[in-house]
Amino acid sequence: MTDRIEDSPLYRIANPRSIAIFGASNKFTAMGTGILSSIKQMGYDGAIYPVHPREETVQGHKAYSSVLDLPEAPDLAIIVLPTPVVPEVMEACGQKGIGHAIVVSGGFREVGDGGAALEKQLNEAAARHNMRFLGPNCIGAVNTHFKLNATFLPCEHPPGFIGMASQSGSFITQMFDYLGRYNLGFSSGFSVGNEASIDIVDCLEYLAKCPDTRVIALYIESIRRGRDFIDAARRIAPQKPIVAYYVGGTEAGGRAGLSHTGALAGADRVYDGVFRQSGVIRAHSIEEMFDICWCLGTTALPRGNRVVIQTHSGGPGAVAADACARNGLELPSIEAQTREKLAEYIPSTGSMNNPVDLTFTKRNLDYFVDIPDVLLQDNNTDALMVYMMMPRRMVLMVAETMSVSMEEAKTIAAQFISDQSRQLADAMRNAKKPWIGYSYYSSESDFIRKLYEAGAPVLPGPNRAARALGALHEYVQLCEKIST
Amino acid sequence: MEIIDQALAAGRRALSEYDAKRLLADYGIAVTREQLAADRSAAVEAARQIGFPVVVKGSGAELMHKTESGVVFVNIADEQGVAEAFDAISSKLGAGFEAVLVQEMVSGKRELVLGLHREPQFGPCVMLGIGGVLTEVINDTAFRIAPFGEAEARDMAAELRAKKVFDAFRGEAAADMDQLAKNLCALGRIGLEQENIAEIDINPLIITPEGRLKAVDALVVLKESSHD
Repeated sequence: MTDRIEDSPLYRIANPRSIAIFGASNKFTAMGTGILSSIKQMGYDGAIYPVHPREETVQGHKAYSSVLDLPEAPDLAIIVLPTPVVPEVMEACGQKGIGHAIVVSGGFREVGDGGAALEKQLNEAAARHNMRFLGPNCIGAVNTHFKLNATFLPCEHPPGFIGMASQSGSFITQMFDYLGRYNLGFSSGFSVGNEASIDIVDCLEYLAKCPDTRVIALYIESIRRGRDFIDAARRIAPQKPIVAYYVGGTEAGGRAGLSHTGALAGADRVYDGVFRQSGVIRAHSIEEMFDICWCLGTTALPRGNRVVIQTHSGGPGAVAADACARNGLELPSIEAQTREKLAEYIPSTGSMNNPVDLTFTKRNLDYFVDIPDVLLQDNNTDALMVYMMMPRRMVLMVAETMSVSMEEAKTIAAQFISDQSRQLADAMRNAKKPWIGYSYYSSESDFIRKLYEAGAPVLPGPNRAARALGALHEYVQLCEKIST
Repeated sequence: MEIIDQALAAGRRALSEYDAKRLLADYGIAVTREQLAADRSAAVEAARQIGFPVVVKGSGAELMHKTESGVVFVNIADEQGVAEAFDAISSKLGAGFEAVLVQEMVSGKRELVLGLHREPQFGPCVMLGIGGVLTEVINDTAFRIAPFGEAEARDMAAELRAKKVFDAFRGEAAADMDQLAKNLCALGRIGLEQENIAEIDINPLIITPEGRLKAVDALVVLKESSHD
């Protein structure tokens, strides 16, 4: 364990002041070319040194025929070359004094004995020069706060707060677009590949110290340093939540044992126990993992499992109530004093049971600010779930009644949606209890998109919202257990 | 540990039930009162000392699944029943007969399974589950990697789908969760300290009407490599 983030073997991989890249050329089909292009596209502002045997320049950068000719020893080498030459290139990088590398090339341990022998040579070369590296057989690393995207796909989402380590090759790059849709993003992301030098536990330790990371996400197929993982996660989780998605690796099944215990010990159940013991929240799908990260990174933590649901339509309320019940959440009835306070807002058609169903409110601010505020003050409320929608057409109709031109009405409507979403997002963020939105509307709706942009968690549908709230409660319980 | 060394020296794959329970008792896990008997009169005398009703089982290190082998007789009320059970077991096992185990009959509606196995990447792994003959059908289990503390052990119980089994149930008291947590931690300690043990099954571990826990049957499998 290292105390300072600068001492982590990942620090100079995620924050390199200069980079040597092997395998990038002017040929646009080469994978190395794609990685260099990603690095440039995100606006990396350190020095870039392409190493190429023949080219004089690569994508506008002066190229060097040997790493030994570089004017300095860069912080990081990115190697995207045919497998057989990788160990000797690693050796040359070591001679130059480069301390860290990302080995993207595959064809090592994952392909069998021949590859395993090459991986051993790679490890030996690195060990001779005290080098640490990510991979081999990985897609690289991204640090959006350092404007570094050393992967082969463009990353267009804004700098985010989710720190991720993945044992699946290209998974992180696949998520760039997905997270961007909700205005979420990675702080840093690492693809660990064969974990020959740096493994998922090293990533966990780094992300724990990373100031831009509010929540850690893990994609796990198999944990190799088992005990170290448990010890590290138990130490980290109470300070920074960890959410893991596990998909059975090759170890599942085929346990020959004489006991019932051996027969019952499927990898999936064992991992359930490992995660719970480690204080790690287990997600059962990718969407769920990022939903949980989203809420953990943007809302307060609940003191208990009692949820108040607010809607203006019976259906979304009933579905949310059902979803809460299936996620270990309770629906308390609201206090008498809360009912009194609500009376002035709720028409006779509404319901003050939980779900609180308003059916109709005269002013939008009542629905999005005043009523949630009253509900959050209720002592029976541990968390609030509010159905959110504001169709543009509806706002436009109101604007049109103000006897202005169509163009002016559009401007007024856009301004109104913008103001409302900002106020709402502020209120959600400042609430002392978790307050999350859910909607069947997507970012196609101006209102929902503006909420995403303002950093408000508005989850797609009540099931996902309820599961995420359930996970927040689970996290609080895990922390309590670990600290006893 | 002497019990294990002797079994390994004899080339056995597992401890006898009797030895397995002595090992568990050494680690503080409550087991049935029981005696080994090599002949019929010793069996009857053992039953008299333990008190009726009793259970009579075939005993031997190679007898791993006794119920399936038809050498378990339960709820025997008198001396004649013990003698008959002894004869049935000795004739069933023939030349392979070693002894019978006479033990107290533990009643209780709730049966648990506790276990230990080794995970290559994590080390000794302790299991808690719903026990009895339907264990594998019900498949309601929780696992933890040793070492772990009692808070973690209690959380294993909370993880079971059928966690209400630990509450008061049909006139029987709530289970002693302190004892359960201690038993689970003890299994973890066995895993850490006894490298020659590959796997353990305690099935059933019965919750008595008073809420106490008692290991009624136990299997301790030894490491493959250690008896080559």
